[in-house]
Amino acid sequence: MPLEEFKSSKPLTMGVELELQLVSLSDYDLTASSPDLLHLLNRKPFPGNVTPEITESMIEINSDVHTNHAELLAQLQLTRDVLVQAGEQLNIGICGGGTHPFQKWSERRIFSKPRFKEVSELYGYLAKQFTIFGQHVHIGCESGDDALFLLHSLSRYVPHFIALSSSSPYVQGNDTLFNSARLNSVFAFPMSGRAPFTQSWSTFEHEYFAKMEHTGVIKSMKDFYWDIRPKPEFGTIELRVCDTPLTVERAAALAVYLQSLCRYLLERKEEPPVEDDYLVYNYNRFQACRFGLDGTVVHPKTYESLSLREDILTTLRKMEPHGAALGATAGLQHLVQVTHEGSDAHYLRQQFDRSGSAEGMVDAAIQRFREG
Amino acid sequence: MPDIQVVLTELGWPLAVALAWLSGEFIHRWTRLPRISVYGVVGFGLSQAFPDALSSGPTSTVTVLANLAFGLILFEFGYRINLRWLRINPWIAVSGLAESAATFGVVYLISHLSGMPSLTSLLLASLAMSTSPAGVLRVINEEDSSGQVTERVLHLVAINCVLAVFTFKVVVGFWVFQTSGSLTQAISHSLIELAVSAAMGAVLGMLVPAVLRRMGKLAQDGTIAFALGVILLVAMARAFDVSPVLATLTFGLAARHSRVAFSRTERNFGGIGELMTVLLFVFAVSTLEWERVVDGLGLGMLLLLARFVVKAVAVGAFAHVGGISWRKGLLTGVALAPMSVFVTLLLEQTKYMGIVLVDELAALAAMTLVLEVFGPIITQRALVWANETPNKEDR
Repeated sequence: MPLEEFKSSKPLTMGVELELQLVSLSDYDLTASSPDLLHLLNRKPFPGNVTPEITESMIEINSDVHTNHAELLAQLQLTRDVLVQAGEQLNIGICGGGTHPFQKWSERRIFSKPRFKEVSELYGYLAKQFTIFGQHVHIGCESGDDALFLLHSLSRYVPHFIALSSSSPYVQGNDTLFNSARLNSVFAFPMSGRAPFTQSWSTFEHEYFAKMEHTGVIKSMKDFYWDIRPKPEFGTIELRVCDTPLTVERAAALAVYLQSLCRYLLERKEEPPVEDDYLVYNYNRFQACRFGLDGTVVHPKTYESLSLREDILTTLRKMEPHGAALGATAGLQHLVQVTHEGSDAHYLRQQFDRSGSAEGMVDAAIQRFREG
Repeated sequence: MPDIQVVLTELGWPLAVALAWLSGEFIHRWTRLPRISVYGVVGFGLSQAFPDALSSGPTSTVTVLANLAFGLILFEFGYRINLRWLRINPWIAVSGLAESAATFGVVYLISHLSGMPSLTSLLLASLAMSTSPAGVLRVINEEDSSGQVTERVLHLVAINCVLAVFTFKVVVGFWVFQTSGSLTQAISHSLIELAVSAAMGAVLGMLVPAVLRRMGKLAQDGTIAFALGVILLVAMARAFDVSPVLATLTFGLAARHSRVAFSRTERNFGGIGELMTVLLFVFAVSTLEWERVVDGLGLGMLLLLARFVVKAVAVGAFAHVGGISWRKGLLTGVALAPMSVFVTLLLEQTKYMGIVLVDELAALAAMTLVLEVFGPIITQRALVWANETPNKEDR
C-alpha cells in the first residue's frame, strides 16, 4: 500500500488522545472490563470519541480538533466526568499514569479484534508488556514539508515532554528509578525511535517509505512507533512520547505547549534542523526518562550541558507571546507550576511512601483523575 | 496388626482429601470442569462407601477445619465487596433484594403446595435464597474472570447470604421459641445475634490492618495476619454462639473499607487455603445420605429448577437499568446457582440445637448434592458465555 497523500490541514489545530487504565476497585489491579464500559457508554452520546485498545484493561479517548486551550480543556473535562460516572456505575476505577505499578503482563487479556491478535502473535510478550498508557498530541500542518520540518525541529524538545508528563515510576511492583519507565517498553520495538532525517515529503515518500515498504518490513505508517510521526491522512504530526498524565488538566497543558512550540518554530527564527541534532538525541531522552525534571541534557547545537528543569522554564518563558496569541497562557502556567511542584511520577512516589503500598498509589491516581 | 476398622477411621479423612484433590487436578486438566465439582463427586462417593471412616460430629476436628476453611473464603469474599458501589448503583442492591425475595416466595409456595409443614417450608425457602460464596469465589478465582457478571455475582451473593442467614435465624428462632415466645422475640433475638457477629468482624477488620501498619510490613502481604484473624474469629463465633458466616464476611468487608491500610493477601490464602478448600467441599457432601437424596430427588429437582429460573429472571430484569446488557444480566442470574457449602455449614451449626434438618428435609439433601456438583459448572459456563474468562490462547 503506497503512502497516502499528505492531507493539508489548518496549521496549529490540535487534538489529544489519552490511553487510560481500567482498574478493579477490589484489588487495584488492571481489570479486563473495556467491553462492559464501552457497552454502557454506547447508550448515550459521548463528548468526543472512545475506542477499545489492545488489552481489555485499557481504553482510549480522543478529543475533537481544537484551536485553543479552553475548548480543549472543557471537552476533556466533560469526557472525564462522563467516563468516571460510567465507571462508578460498573465498579471500575479509571486513572491516568504511564504504567500500572504492579500488574503482571502475563495476565493481560487481548481485545478480540483481528489487528490486535496479529500484533500479539508477532510480538509475543512485547505486546502484553506493551500494556502502557500514553498521551498522543496531534498538531495540524499545512503540508508534508511543514510536517517534517516541525518533526525534526521538535526533536530538541522531546525531553521536555517526557519529563513534564512522566508518570510511570513503577513497573511490576518495583520502583524502576525511572520517571518514565513506560518509554523503555516502547524502545523494545524494532520500529521505534526517531524518524529518518528527510525534510521534504516527496523524498520521505519515494526514497524512504517506498523502499521500506519494498523490503516487506512495514506495510503502513502504523508500523512505525516513532517518538514523533507524521500522520498523512489527518495532515498532522503526532507526538507520542508523553505518559498519560494523572489529570486531563495536565494533558491539555502539554498539548498547548506543543502547539505554542510549533507556532514559534514555524516562524523559522531558530537554526534549521540538521541530521547531527540527533547525535545527542538518545542521551537526552534517556536523561529525561530516568531523572525527569532533574535530568541534564546536552544542547544539540552548542553541546552545552543544561539542567532540564531550567531549559523547560526558559522555553516556557520564550513561549509566552505565542501562548498569548493562541489562548494557551493558562496551560503554560500550569506547566511552570509542574517544574516547581514536581511531575506526576514524583507525586506517585509520595503516595507510595504515604500509603505504604502500590495499591495505595493506584487509589490516589484514581482520586486524582476524578478530581483533576 | 491393628483392626482394619480403626485404621480406616484414622486414615479416612486424609485419604479422602488426597483422593479428591488428585481427581480434581486430573479431571480439571482433561475436561476443564471446576475442581470443586470433582471434590463433591469424590467426597460423596467415598462417604457412601465408607460411612464410618468419614463421619463427623459438630465438635469433630473436621467440622472445625471446614468452618475455618469457609471462614477464609468468606473473608476473601468480603474483601471484594465494595459498599460504595451499592450506594452509587442502587440497582445492584434492588436486584439482590428482588431475587432473594422472589426465590423465598416461590420455593415456599412450591414446598407448601407439595404438602410440607409450613415451618419446614419456611426453612427450606430461607436456605434456597442463598448462593454459596465458596462455590462462586472458587470458580471465579479458578477461571480468573473479570467483568460485570463477575463483579455483580460477588455482590449479589453477599446480599442474598446475609438475607438468608437472617431469615434462617428468624425461622429457627421462631421454631425454638414456638412454645414460649413470639415472632417479635425471634426477630429481635436473631437481630442481636447478627449484630454481635457483625460487630466482632468489624472490630477485627479495623484492628488487623492497624497492627499490620504498625509493624511496617505493608509492602509485604498480610496473608498470615488475616488468616490468623479468621481463625480467631471463627473460634470466637463458636464460643459466643453467634454466626461465623456473618462475622468473617464483615471482617473482610471492614478490612477493605477501613482503609487503614492497603494490603494484599494471596488469592485463596495460598496453598494451605487450597488444601482447606478440598477438605471443605468433601466435608460438605459427607453429611448426606444416598437414601435421603433419592427420596427427595423429585421435589428437590422441582425446587432447584424454580430457584434457577427465578434468580435468572429476577436479576435479568434489572440488567438494563443497572447498566449492563440483558444478556449479561441473565448470565449473572444464572451464575448464582451454587448453594451447597453454605447450606451444609449453616445446618451443622443448628444440629447441636436439636434441629436435624437434613434428616428431615430429603429435598434439601437432594438439592445440596445436585448443586455441589452442578452449581459450579453452571457458574463457570455463565462466566465463559459472558466472555469474562481469558481465552485459552492467552494463557
